[in-house]
Amino acid sequence: MASRPDPRRGRWLLAAWVTAAFALSALRDTRLLLLALLLLALLFRRGLWRNLWRTLRAVLPVTAGLSLASLAFLRLTGGEWPPLGPYAALALRTGAIGLLTCSVLDRVDLLRALAPYPAATRLLVVTLAQIHALRLLATDSRDGLRSRLPRRPGALDVVRNAGGITATLFALSARNARDIGEAMRSRGF
Amino acid sequence: MHVPDGFISPWLSLPAYAVAAPLWALAARRHFGRASAESLPVVGSLTALAFVIQTIMIPVPGGTSTHLVGVLLLALLYHPLVAFLCESLVLLVQALFFGAGGVTVLAINALAMGLLGPLAGWLAWRLVRRLSERAALFLAGWVSMQVATLAVAGALGLQHRLDPDYFPMPLAVTLTGMLVPSLTVAGVVEGLYTVFALTLVRKAGFRGVEA
Repeated sequence: MASRPDPRRGRWLLAAWVTAAFALSALRDTRLLLLALLLLALLFRRGLWRNLWRTLRAVLPVTAGLSLASLAFLRLTGGEWPPLGPYAALALRTGAIGLLTCSVLDRVDLLRALAPYPAATRLLVVTLAQIHALRLLATDSRDGLRSRLPRRPGALDVVRNAGGITATLFALSARNARDIGEAMRSRGF
Repeated sequence: MHVPDGFISPWLSLPAYAVAAPLWALAARRHFGRASAESLPVVGSLTALAFVIQTIMIPVPGGTSTHLVGVLLLALLYHPLVAFLCESLVLLVQALFFGAGGVTVLAINALAMGLLGPLAGWLAWRLVRRLSERAALFLAGWVSMQVATLAVAGALGLQHRLDPDYFPMPLAVTLTGMLVPSLTVAGVVEGLYTVFALTLVRKAGFRGVEA
């Protein structure tokens, strides 16, 4: 059985992650950013390819799309291609912070790391449990809509259905909040 | 619509935290400052609700899709500060568990999508609701989307203005890239959704939990 991450180490990692993310977000030198990426790859070798893939999927579409649009706009309005350095730095910066985030969160058990802060832990547990419960309902409703219609649901069908399911989601979330509150009170919180 | 990590420098992201922090404290104290057994379940449930609404994808012409924001409903049913606090928690959960948005830009995203957008929608609804409730709800949804989009594009434009070498995309590009889909598709979808959802929520006799 794999050993569970040490909660104190988890807290240190989280603090280091936030500090490093802000520090990386201040960098704009391409060489420094490349060095930072290399260091991150060396530091977080376990699961590197998976985390690189997750990072690419998370940051590439927005960064590449906006960069291409901006390059085309500046070429059309200015008559020449703008320098590519800032675009490369932007891509490296978003990539480095993304890789750092994926790698750190892969190594931290958030609930155990937050154990010394009971209110934060309870809030996280309640929120995640509620997300799970409400998501099941939303997914069931979406599948129900698909099965009822002989064609693929259009935008208006989905918006109408979302309006309907929202009323149920509100009712369920209110009932769950009351139940959890009563359960907490009965346990002396 | 999120600003991702790396697009905004600490010269902007840290002041945004300085603006957001007292508002988070005010929202928490004013709306959830009771015993934890009463406040935590309500915050958690409303946050989860906002999170799940944002996962509902709406197919739009052209084969792509947009997602609902939905946090305006919390502003209309509770208060804009409740919407701000819950949307901030949604963004935190997204950053911690799903790699969306990010921790350095959390305050900027929260101020734009959680406060300015819903606040503008709430104000529009209060102004127009005497004329027609449905029109007011549609307008609230549409306005909320446009203001949130403008705020995000404005933050990116300000970053470009402060340091074009850091963020090389001019305001014209970010504004066009974000505002065109928002004005034509996402805003209309959000407006329609707000009308359908709030009408049904009220028809179902939802009284909510005290927040």
